[in-house]
Amino acid sequence: MASFFVIRGNDQGNKFDLNSDRLEIGRDAGNDIQLHDQEVSRSHAELVREGRRYFLRDLGSSNGTYVNRRRITGRYELNSGDQVQMGKTLILFTGPSDPSSTHLLDNIDIVAHQQHGDNSRILRSMSQAEGSQLFGMEPGTAETSWLARARSNLQVMYRTALAVSHTLDIDQLLHRILTLIFDWVEADRGCIMLVHPDTGKLQPKVHFNRRGKPTGERLVISQTILDYVMQHNEGVLTSNAQEDERWNPAASIVDLGIREALCVPMQGRYDVVGVIYIDTAVPPHRMLQKASGGSGNKFTEEHLKLLIAVAHQAALAVEDTRYYSAMVQAERLAAIGQTITSLAHHIKNVLQGIRGASFLIQDGLQRHDEEEIRQGWEMMERKQQLISNLVMDMLTFSKEREPEMLPAELNQVVGDIVELMHLRAKEKQVQLDWLPDLAMPTLTFDPEGLHRAVLNVVTNAIDACENSEPHGIVRVSTLYLPNEKLARVTVEDNGVGIPADEIDDIFSLFVSTKHNRGTGLGLPVSQKILKEHGGEIRVESEVGRGSRFYLEFPAILPENNNASDSRVTQHHAR
Amino acid sequence: MAVSRSVLVVDHSDETREVLRTVLKRRGLNILEARAARQGLDMAREYQPDLIVLDLEAETIKDAGGPLEFDRPDGRQRPVILLGTARRQAAGLPGAEFVSKPYHYGPLIRRIEELLESAR
Repeated sequence: MASFFVIRGNDQGNKFDLNSDRLEIGRDAGNDIQLHDQEVSRSHAELVREGRRYFLRDLGSSNGTYVNRRRITGRYELNSGDQVQMGKTLILFTGPSDPSSTHLLDNIDIVAHQQHGDNSRILRSMSQAEGSQLFGMEPGTAETSWLARARSNLQVMYRTALAVSHTLDIDQLLHRILTLIFDWVEADRGCIMLVHPDTGKLQPKVHFNRRGKPTGERLVISQTILDYVMQHNEGVLTSNAQEDERWNPAASIVDLGIREALCVPMQGRYDVVGVIYIDTAVPPHRMLQKASGGSGNKFTEEHLKLLIAVAHQAALAVEDTRYYSAMVQAERLAAIGQTITSLAHHIKNVLQGIRGASFLIQDGLQRHDEEEIRQGWEMMERKQQLISNLVMDMLTFSKEREPEMLPAELNQVVGDIVELMHLRAKEKQVQLDWLPDLAMPTLTFDPEGLHRAVLNVVTNAIDACENSEPHGIVRVSTLYLPNEKLARVTVEDNGVGIPADEIDDIFSLFVSTKHNRGTGLGLPVSQKILKEHGGEIRVESEVGRGSRFYLEFPAILPENNNASDSRVTQHHAR
Repeated sequence: MAVSRSVLVVDHSDETREVLRTVLKRRGLNILEARAARQGLDMAREYQPDLIVLDLEAETIKDAGGPLEFDRPDGRQRPVILLGTARRQAAGLPGAEFVSKPYHYGPLIRRIEELLESAR
């Protein structure tokens, strides 16, 4: 399936499957692909699918849409590997995979020599070392202009292929490589086979027929030649014409023509990772030329040299891609492991509390001790609140959740939190002050999301100044900045503060400094919610003095204050 | 009846201390509480409790800054119950009982009562 993969920007790491005929891209939550980037317009571009092709069009964005660093105008057809830039966000486009590669094994036969009438023999071989230096050497006088041009063009194209290989899958990479080869070598058919890492056997990965050539024909490759290439690490030029015999212009053979093939090893840094095979039919008139003494071969030593060099580069790219996928996989597993450990730890602690609460109730019932029962029940309430917070925080990261933007009162939302946290602050002997900006207008935002975001920060602030002298103070305030078009919630505490070298980490998932009490979800959740609003959280902190968190987001006034905003509101009403 | 027996609870969790305090008090025991191991050690020396319940979170051990020595001055062994997911060896208390988390309170309370009874 085709996809957009964000390789730079706030949404880095997000992958969007392009599975509908029209997708809108922009900063608004109403877009199919939402980019949290201030330089991306609310409604930035559209992507239209027609069959297997994808067309990108800018929707009059302020900063434009770029493909491979060029600003696009009108409809632009995307090719696999293209890099799309909008604002500060860089996206890699991967096209749909080639359906022709699915029945590969049906199209390619690897046969023992002499079977099926395949009499291919090796005409010329060349060591991998000899050929692979092609891209490394200075343009020599010995080479023909064809080889010189092919070399310089392939070099440029290789750099591109290598640059994108990191995020493309191997099949796509091989497909690109074979396409490049076909641009330069007059081959009819070709395939790339990779050594299966477990069985050590060659497996056809991609195969290609020149356009206009019949595709139904099976590609027959001699096992002997493949073995030779793999074992000797040499590229070979083969032909199924009988060399010893005089050219026999028997009508039947002239009709069939003969077949020449190039088969080269893909030598990577350490191993031969596979082979590239291409072949061509030599038409009868060429054979007649040969019969009359000319050079009838279509493939020459130069082709062999070029293909060996290409195969070497391809092998390096395959190795890189494999290495990269392994790394991504390892990182993913590590992240999953960390997630599970962290959640299990937190849930275990909550469970321990629930067991305590339940025991108090049980013991109280046995002793008819109402006070003990009440104590247990209150503890149970606190624990279920913890679990509920944990679940809500986890859901913030789920794909399904979408911020619900609607007109709401920021002072109301923050005021509710202060009231909610009043008891907790009192228990910890922390003074909780609330200073609303009375000039705060009704704004368009996701009240539930912002509630979570502010709640997490206030909870942290109270925990941070639990042991402050003479007593902890948390001050929550709001501020409307009409000139900057910003709304701000400030949460100040006189707590322990955050060391400078830890500041960058506090928004990372599962990094908690609160030992057993923290899930490591709170601040990442808050930051994510603010970014969904096109805003952010900033922190100032001094160890021993306290911290100040600013939660800022663009103040969008509801109703028809300006044309584009009203469009946004309609969008969300959908 | 002699002076009531005392139990020192060393646990960073407010809830665990609250549950043990509530339940053990109702069973006529004196409860001493500490949040961290170092504070617990100080209290053990000062008040000489009859039994210690010690939560073994990794940071609790680190916080103590050395082996946890809850020995009584008269050389008699004092019962210690360890709570935790950490290995018991971590505390360097070979004679202690080990209860793995998450635990049920019923059996823990019964064990506390048994140990106090047998140490009498």
